[in-house]
Amino acid sequence: MKLRSKWFAGLAAVAAVGVVAGCGTSNSSSSTQNAAPSNSSQQAASVAKVTLTETGSSLLYPLFNAQWIPAYHKLHPDVQMTAASTGSGTGISDAIAGTVDIGASDAYMADAQIQQHPDMLNIPVAISAQQIMYNLPGVKGHLHLSGEVLAEIYEGKIQYWDDAKIKALNPGVKLPHQVIKPVVRSDGSGDTFLFTQYLSKSSAAWNQNYGYGTTISWPGLQTEIGAKGNQGVVAALAKTPYSIGYVGISWLDKAVQQGLGYAALENKAGKYVLPTSATIQAAAQEGVKNVPADERISLIDEPGANSYPIINFEYIIVKDDQPNAAKADALKAFLNWAINPSEGNSAKFLTPVHFLPLPTSVHAKSEAQIEKIKG
Amino acid sequence: MRRRRRKWKSAFGWGLAWLAFALVLFGLVDLVGSVLWQGIRSFHFSMLFEPTQGIAGGLENAILGTFELVFIGVVFAAPLGILGGIFTSEFAPPRLAAVIRFVAEVLSGVPSIVIGYFGYLLLVLHFHWGFSALAGGVALTLIMLPYILRTTDTSLQQVPLLQREAAWALGMTRTQAILKTVWRPAASGMATGLLLAIAIGLGETAPLLYTAGWNSNNPSLALTHSQVGYLTYVAYTYLDEPYAQARQLAYAAGFVLLMLILVIQLVVRFVVWRSAARSGRSAA
Amino acid sequence: MRKVSKVAKAWDRGFRVLAAIGAASPAVFLVSIAAIVLVESIPTIRFMGIHFLTETRWDMGNLYGALTHRNGITAPAGASYGALVFIVGTLLSSIIALVIAVPVSVGTALILAYRVRGPLGFLLNILVELLAGIPSVVIGLWGILVLVPWIANALAPFLKSVLGFIPFFGGQTGTGYSLLASGIVLAMMIVPIITATTRDLLMQVPLLAREGGLGIGMTSWEVVRYIALPYIREGFIGAVALGWGRAMGETMAVLMVSGNATNILPQNLYSPISTMAAFIANQLDSAETDASGMAVHALSELALLLLAITLATNLVARWLVRPRRRGGVVAP
Repeated sequence: MKLRSKWFAGLAAVAAVGVVAGCGTSNSSSSTQNAAPSNSSQQAASVAKVTLTETGSSLLYPLFNAQWIPAYHKLHPDVQMTAASTGSGTGISDAIAGTVDIGASDAYMADAQIQQHPDMLNIPVAISAQQIMYNLPGVKGHLHLSGEVLAEIYEGKIQYWDDAKIKALNPGVKLPHQVIKPVVRSDGSGDTFLFTQYLSKSSAAWNQNYGYGTTISWPGLQTEIGAKGNQGVVAALAKTPYSIGYVGISWLDKAVQQGLGYAALENKAGKYVLPTSATIQAAAQEGVKNVPADERISLIDEPGANSYPIINFEYIIVKDDQPNAAKADALKAFLNWAINPSEGNSAKFLTPVHFLPLPTSVHAKSEAQIEKIKG
Repeated sequence: MRRRRRKWKSAFGWGLAWLAFALVLFGLVDLVGSVLWQGIRSFHFSMLFEPTQGIAGGLENAILGTFELVFIGVVFAAPLGILGGIFTSEFAPPRLAAVIRFVAEVLSGVPSIVIGYFGYLLLVLHFHWGFSALAGGVALTLIMLPYILRTTDTSLQQVPLLQREAAWALGMTRTQAILKTVWRPAASGMATGLLLAIAIGLGETAPLLYTAGWNSNNPSLALTHSQVGYLTYVAYTYLDEPYAQARQLAYAAGFVLLMLILVIQLVVRFVVWRSAARSGRSAA
Repeated sequence: MRKVSKVAKAWDRGFRVLAAIGAASPAVFLVSIAAIVLVESIPTIRFMGIHFLTETRWDMGNLYGALTHRNGITAPAGASYGALVFIVGTLLSSIIALVIAVPVSVGTALILAYRVRGPLGFLLNILVELLAGIPSVVIGLWGILVLVPWIANALAPFLKSVLGFIPFFGGQTGTGYSLLASGIVLAMMIVPIITATTRDLLMQVPLLAREGGLGIGMTSWEVVRYIALPYIREGFIGAVALGWGRAMGETMAVLMVSGNATNILPQNLYSPISTMAAFIANQLDSAETDASGMAVHALSELALLLLAITLATNLVARWLVRPRRRGGVVAP
């Protein structure tokens, strides 16, 4: 009867979906990458497929997703990795909750969190930086901005681009009389952590009233724009004239392509520096003198005439007790590959995103932490 | 004089009504049109067979994930909803039936984000399923269940009592009567209810954000501890990227969603039309 | 009389039990949802008390500092959860959605019920119901693609120039991500509900009453105004309340166009806002970074508040739309 033919059609449709899903599942490992089969001597010992899931920092994402995963998959086709750019806050909380294997974060975990979850490791894998970007049509070159001025912009005390305080830092630059539109991260963000740490160190008022963190209670401004992820901030800046925001350095090239400019920031010595590998290196050299064994340390506002003020370690947040040996081994293999200066930490991967490799002392400490991962 | 003024008022009033109607049509055409326009420009057939890779790629993983989530939702919601609807219509005394209908209404009024929050706390964290197809599927069940229950109940209520009495008079138990005869006239109503519930499930995002997670690979058959991608996630997340290919993927996802839902709605219309034609009544 | 076999009776009982389980399932789910949301909210209720409803500042506190104690609850230093911004955002956007949707729906319903017939009418009815099925993400997509730029470049300056003397319509025209955009998007979502219900109600108005009006010389519009609309008044109010409930619970479309404001109440129509549902969706994963767990509890109280308001609205709507024994009108 007619009803029966409808059921037939429905069953056929479900069967068709099932067939496609079946084909899809078996294809998924080979269709993720068009890579040639591996010929490296570093074949992983386990034959069974291991899946490593990553989520978190949008600063680390361009490196992790676009560079590391394809390269690592070529060497270890039996390890399948997925990445997502959800913000450092999510990276930390999902790693703690165990919903992902690898949490990526620009921010280290707080003391209170470590106390509650002593089995979490914060492992630096690279040095990165952050810059302040703005959309000012017609203004060429790099504006000079200081932490205090930025704090006042984000507090709403400085409202127009041609405010006296901005003009004082940029004599000779023609600034428009337009309302400044500050862009903030609405998700739990390591970039927010870095930026607010810089503001807290530069402005006592900011430190008192707002502090720092992956999420803070931003001053309520009519003109403020909230965006998700570095990608959202870049998109918002590009769309909104006279806006200003904080963006991770791995997004610098993309953002400059969209016509955005970036600022020279005032460092601790009072000089205005751009984020180049030289200035980041100078700051890193100062900062690594005091790295503790658990490697949770801020590298903001390091001393030195040539130091760039906003740099940080990119952290991988993992549990030191993994559910099984296969996963623990896969994790250790990947992380060791990532911090290896001739593999994941080589210029081939880091230079396109303007990161720096780990200094030797930090590399040793990271290796020690990776060893702690047990299955 | 007054007559003419009244005539003008009448014309004016109807003019406003037509204006409102035109506004709705315009809004609908603009919405569907712009999504379709951007979608058609961004969509390639290859997207159906390629999973998402980073910022671009295809939609295969999202489409399969959506189907998997809705399928799990239906597997739970359909039996519960249909059985519940049968109970409410056929077995429950009137007071109890009213209570059940009321509870179903209340459940359907729960905001979808609250269901997502519930799913996250209970299924993902407390039960330790992690972001998974099962957690997402159960969240969709909660959304679809009251709808299926309500439409089953209403369709069965439309069947005249005479049909049941005839069956009982032949010596059937109530169950036999339902399973053998009463369901047939109600079948088209139940089918449309199920199809519309599926359409609702296809378009949901908030319940899945914190239960299904996201995966750029095709779904494995693992029900727990394996995240699943879905179309609405692509439409929501990839829209705000500074990369043109990512935005195109978002438009394409919106386009595919719109097409799927359109197809379902057309099938529903067809079913209603055919059942009405068959029973000789004019279409509602 | 043919005897019913024992097997058949056993099946009958078994089936009834299964069906009863199915019927009980919504209640079970509803109770578990309410229970979990309530239990998770208790710490915040004790921590904030009534200030939850009156404070504007939503501060998760210094997550990198030490935890403090207040009212017997552990929370980060400086934490204070005030939901006023979200309550105002939700209510204002829903009210604006209603202000736009109700007249438009009434007009559309009148046309669909009384003015179009035949295959064209069939087609138009289908189109309106199509709008009901569009996922909210797709409406949000259209919002970002078309609506927000249009508001920023055309609608907001226009409204400001025409109505700018009223404080609510004046001031900065903003970026387009605004209360206005949220209201319009919500209106798009609730128009189909109100239109469909109102159209069905209008078709239930007895033909005799309408023809009677025409018979004594009323114009067709007067028939609508003095006979049809008053007839359906209660059912109509119920439909509007249903639409309002839907608008308040809507998450995705609003999340995409509202601008996600925090710590600031909207000052005019073009200010960014944040609604309860959108805020929960946005913040749930950042809330997990709070070591004391208070942020998750605070979101839970927000969910509880949202649940309570939407359920109350839905209940009132259902009560108003209930079937009556009055002259043949059966409100759906």
